[in-house]
Amino acid sequence: MSLEEPEPDAPATVEEQSADELAELLGDHVIGREEHLNAPGYVVRPDEVQAVLSTLKEDAGYDHLSCVTAQEYEDRYESIYHLKKYDDPTQEVSVVVPADRENPVSQSGEAVFRTADWHEREAYDLVGIEYDDHPDLRRILLPETWQGHPLAEDYEQDRPQVVPLREHANPLQEDHRSEQDTDTMYLNIGPHHPATHGVLHLKTVLDGEQVADVESDIGYLHRCEEQICQNGTYRHQIMPYPDRWDYISAGLLNEWAYARAAEDMADIDVPEYAQVIRTMGAELCRIAAHMLAVGTFALDVYGDFTAIFMYAIRDREKAQNILEDLTGQRLMFNYFRLGGVVWDLPEPREEFFEKTRDFLEDLPEALEEYHDLISSNEILQMRTIDTGVLPPEVAKSYGATGPVARGSGVDYDLRRDDPYGYYDELDWDVVTEDGCDNYSRLLVRLREVEESAKIIEQCIDLLEDWPEEDRTIQANVPRTLKPDDDTEIYRAVEGAKGELGIYMRSDGTDKPARFKIRSPCFSNLQTLPEMAEGEYVPDLIAALGSLDIVLGEVDR
Amino acid sequence: MTGAVPLQQGMLPDTIANLLGLDAFGIAGDVVAALLGAFLIANFLLINTAFAGPWAKRKITAAFTDRIAVNRIGPFGLFVIVADAVRLLSKELIVPEGADRPAWDLGPLLIPFSALLGFAVIPMGSGLQLADPETGLAFAFAASSIASLGLIMMGYASNNKYSLLGGLRAVASNIAYEIPLIVTGVSVVLFTGTLQMSEIVAAQEATFVSIAGIAIPQWFAFVNPFAFALFVVANVAEVGRNPFDIPEAPTEIVAGYQTEYSSVYFVLIYLGEFIHIFLGGAIAATLFLGGPAGPGPAALGIVWFTAKIWAFFLLTQWLRSAVPRLRVDQFIEIGWKGMLVLSFANLVLTAVIVGVLTTL
Amino acid sequence: MIGILKGMATTMKHALDGKTFTVEYPDVAPEVSPRFRGVHKFSQERCIWCRQCENVCPNDTIQIVQDDQRNGEQYNLHIGQCIYCRLCEEVCPVDAILLTQNFEFTADTKDEFVYNKEQLKNVPWYKGIDPLNSRNPDRGAWIGEGDGEVDYQ
Repeated sequence: MSLEEPEPDAPATVEEQSADELAELLGDHVIGREEHLNAPGYVVRPDEVQAVLSTLKEDAGYDHLSCVTAQEYEDRYESIYHLKKYDDPTQEVSVVVPADRENPVSQSGEAVFRTADWHEREAYDLVGIEYDDHPDLRRILLPETWQGHPLAEDYEQDRPQVVPLREHANPLQEDHRSEQDTDTMYLNIGPHHPATHGVLHLKTVLDGEQVADVESDIGYLHRCEEQICQNGTYRHQIMPYPDRWDYISAGLLNEWAYARAAEDMADIDVPEYAQVIRTMGAELCRIAAHMLAVGTFALDVYGDFTAIFMYAIRDREKAQNILEDLTGQRLMFNYFRLGGVVWDLPEPREEFFEKTRDFLEDLPEALEEYHDLISSNEILQMRTIDTGVLPPEVAKSYGATGPVARGSGVDYDLRRDDPYGYYDELDWDVVTEDGCDNYSRLLVRLREVEESAKIIEQCIDLLEDWPEEDRTIQANVPRTLKPDDDTEIYRAVEGAKGELGIYMRSDGTDKPARFKIRSPCFSNLQTLPEMAEGEYVPDLIAALGSLDIVLGEVDR
Repeated sequence: MTGAVPLQQGMLPDTIANLLGLDAFGIAGDVVAALLGAFLIANFLLINTAFAGPWAKRKITAAFTDRIAVNRIGPFGLFVIVADAVRLLSKELIVPEGADRPAWDLGPLLIPFSALLGFAVIPMGSGLQLADPETGLAFAFAASSIASLGLIMMGYASNNKYSLLGGLRAVASNIAYEIPLIVTGVSVVLFTGTLQMSEIVAAQEATFVSIAGIAIPQWFAFVNPFAFALFVVANVAEVGRNPFDIPEAPTEIVAGYQTEYSSVYFVLIYLGEFIHIFLGGAIAATLFLGGPAGPGPAALGIVWFTAKIWAFFLLTQWLRSAVPRLRVDQFIEIGWKGMLVLSFANLVLTAVIVGVLTTL
Repeated sequence: MIGILKGMATTMKHALDGKTFTVEYPDVAPEVSPRFRGVHKFSQERCIWCRQCENVCPNDTIQIVQDDQRNGEQYNLHIGQCIYCRLCEEVCPVDAILLTQNFEFTADTKDEFVYNKEQLKNVPWYKGIDPLNSRNPDRGAWIGEGDGEVDYQ
């Protein structure tokens, strides 16, 4: 988006409250104040969470609960609700809820924001805070039988997770037919199913071919990514891991999430030249990720080995070749460094520009083919229009972001609304579709590829003309970073699937004390029951495909 | 409907009996000759399937998706057929717990046999026809329908919910699309006035129109293209290929009724499916494309016939590459509300035209 | 109907134009970018045993054993565990550890992926490319001290 022509619904029109106004609004609920680098924090009593969240949502317009972070201090547990506005995500507020050290109980925010359901379950699972009034407080990532809470201070890492046989009772052994309703059938879709895009388990109750109830069971790919990052140094050791969250070639986008949070935390300026390279690389990744999303969605709807999947992979492959030339790797790039990127463009530069230009030139033709094969196909339209409907209000309540939100007409894109990198200097548009169905989400992805191509083209032009003496790729960053004690920050970027946020708290050492990943897929997947219930099994599969989840990012 | 029909020199068993001098042994000789004939025909189809399944299907899919596919074993990768046969047959046969045994074992046998049975009455040209009963067409349809029984047996006996869903979908689709298929086939019978396959072929021998000296035969695909289109669509649904592969639907119900089958049974099921595609192509060729007719001497009939059934196979693969699968309710809806109505409309229209023509 | 036909025409066009995207891998060695990061190569002649690579490695892939005079004895690297982030090459002040373009490694067990310094030395160059010529790591940035107080740690 260019700065010269602001959109009619530009963020400037959103009413902004100052920190004191908010404190006044919340009145007696506030028992203390904190300053996070990204937002003012209000400490509230653990039994008044719902009142505070609903006041902020109804009266102040904070309608987006990005994330719930839970952590343990020496003297207390703490849940942080990171709130934003869909209309202007730069307006942020953190609601800090301390809970008792001995008996960590806190009120659930699920009644106000549906998305709090899973986030609080995760907090319970990993940290051990219990949420009152939560409709279904169970473990979410770890098995039901797990002993202890791994991110809690007193967790015994060496304790064997051997549990008595009776606790391993096969949940499938009991007959899932209820006494009253003998017309339904319980069906496990996944974790090994061709259409679950990884190890996702959907517990489905079918009424004939129709979905009566569906519940996602996640955590099969939980790799303790948050803890891995807590054990790495800010300067270098964390950067290789974001590539592995959303491993569907969205690596640079993920790296940017960490880079942005850490650079803001340590107050590092990134040279403009590096920002342009980052922007170009990130958009190449977005194209690659969307190509795969479109290809696998087609696979789900068309059947095995449709040509579209292969064509999409072929075009993704071209983007990956360029990324390989730039970063040295096809998926796990580790290309960003704090304060810049590791390498300048590959020499000879002309060859690289030419290769990228060729890719961009071929892209419209390839997209034309996709439209011929997918979006203009009548059967596909029959299949996808008005199925998997996700109304905008429901999407917001679940914290959906990215193409899923934009396919429901929610005009939310952090690249424009909370600018970072070089995006606000470039001319591009945010794509939205109002259909709220599977078809809209498909169209959003296809059109976003075009927008990304526009961005890359402008970056190439900029890089080509960049004066040689100005090509600084890294800022002068100390080899050891030790941010001040107790600095807290939550920063997000627009990943391939939506808002990818990082919360970090420092404790004065060179490693973060708490590293929390807000995964867009995690929130988006939560909307599946809303979209699928009452639909047919094929539409459940199509809806799941249109969400474009990556289990590596859901489970982390 | 009369005249010299070169194809009707006699059925294959008679030819064999004459050749080997089995006539002298009475009924026993007839039986041996019939068995030999059946053996020949079945082997012809198995060879076709061997080419189609492990090799041609891969090559065709690869061509549509810009790949190369099997090219490492033998010329054009053809020996992959042998390799695959060995590989598939040497796999472990896994029997699911709680499988309904006799039914579970019989299902995979029924599918190829029903399809092979249908070929008994198909005139394949060059004198290759096992039998030519007066109810030939009805027999072919009936034989191919037995497969539905196999599908539901497999779906039910596998003790797997995906298989059950697949079996039920298979039956629903077969019922929904068999009626339009047969009704459209009947519209051809209205022209020919007989169900006998050889007669139907013979009826298409005459010249339809002659353009610039090239005589276009009276194939029913040319006489009534609308019926031909209907028949092909219903046929694709009947053999369960895209966009009508609802019973299998790997991304939804994980191959449906075949989920629990491995090794030999898997081979049998796939044999059955491919022979079914060929049977579908054979019936379409007989009814609409003049059976084994084609340029050149009549002895080339089998070549033309093979080309026609392979053309149908190619069509199924082409559809597979580009057409999305319908949803199960849309599929049934199209069957009952679209195809059925259209096929009856076609039948009535044909009846009127035939009636007018015969009274003239 | 037109949309379906358009889709079928598109796939048929691809079937007939005869172009393929397949790389016939075992017969044809694929082209790899000069910057590609593959299996490591180690040079004992160059190594000064400063242990920076061991220190920076994010997942403890490198293990260095020294005697009591701090002379290097062993240099072990688990190429099966390595995440190929190239940080070891980046910190190495003397280019003793390099990542070649070699991406082919196979073994029967995980243990065979634990390479000692001899094995690391014998890793061949991929197509004779010496990655040092194709990469120019910006070491100036790596040893940056920041604008604040110098941190001698």
